[in-house]
Amino acid sequence: MELIEQKTEKCVIVSITGRLDTTNYSLLEKKLTDLIDNHEDKILVECSKMDYVSSSGLRILLMALKKITLAKGKFVLCNLQENIREIFEISGFTNIFEIYTTQEEALEVF
Amino acid sequence: MVKYVHFNDPLSEEMIRFLEKIPKCPGTCFFMDINRSTDIKYMGGLTDWGRKLNNTFNNLLYANHFQHNIVKGIGDEMMLFIPDTQLMKKSSNNNHFALLEDIYAALYLIKNHPNPDLFLNCKVAIHYCTEVYNITFFKGANDYYGSDIDLTARLMTKSIESRIVLSEKFYAKVLNDLVSLGLNEKTGCLSGISEKFLENFKGVPTSTEYRVIDVA
Repeated sequence: MELIEQKTEKCVIVSITGRLDTTNYSLLEKKLTDLIDNHEDKILVECSKMDYVSSSGLRILLMALKKITLAKGKFVLCNLQENIREIFEISGFTNIFEIYTTQEEALEVF
Repeated sequence: MVKYVHFNDPLSEEMIRFLEKIPKCPGTCFFMDINRSTDIKYMGGLTDWGRKLNNTFNNLLYANHFQHNIVKGIGDEMMLFIPDTQLMKKSSNNNHFALLEDIYAALYLIKNHPNPDLFLNCKVAIHYCTEVYNITFFKGANDYYGSDIDLTARLMTKSIESRIVLSEKFYAKVLNDLVSLGLNEKTGCLSGISEKFLENFKGVPTSTEYRVIDVA
């Protein structure tokens, strides 16, 4: 998995490429924790190149959502592939995360 | 490959010869049970408990590629078995540490979901089995029998809501994986693992060592 961080005027965009699973979820956990600890509480996760997510990956996303919600920030996802969207649905995530079809759409909510 | 055991003659010599040739099938056995699932059947109708069971089983199985390893379901309890030969071929969750991490994560997602009305909390027992055979006594079924499968069921009696009970044999496998992966022994959910407990389970001739992990 590869993570790319991009700071914009509105938020920080974290792009995930590859598989998010038990072998690498700690990288995403560290990235998001560092951002939140540095008071970056507006985060957009770009998922167009994320082709798999396991429960361990979902756990990190849920933890980040909880922390940012507490800080009254915004944690948004965009561009989920169909198989990822299915896992999000099964996990009841589509109702608790703000998810947008395109990055442009997502950026408008910050 | 499952072996179908079926002989009409109770004293069949052929049956003995057949059984002697069956190889052991080492692997990881899980029991997963839904907490308070009997209660909710009395409290709500099928549309309530059926919906929650559907959601919970999906959440436990699908994100983690476990749906092909279900051996059987008895009521709201599932038995899964992953033979070592299959584990290594999996594209995800292909070591014991990964299995444990994703089971923990699945329980975490259920326990911490903001809508408590969607899922039911679960309890889990995991054991690494060496005394196990891929056999069935019922035509067309796939099953696993052996003293280690029975022991996994016994370990389940030590589990409670949002808890994973793991045998010391399974924990040893996890520690081996951590060494291979260059990770320390408190990585991930292992940061919350208990000390070792000892229990004399009914029917098991020796004491069993196990540990527990409670989901945060």
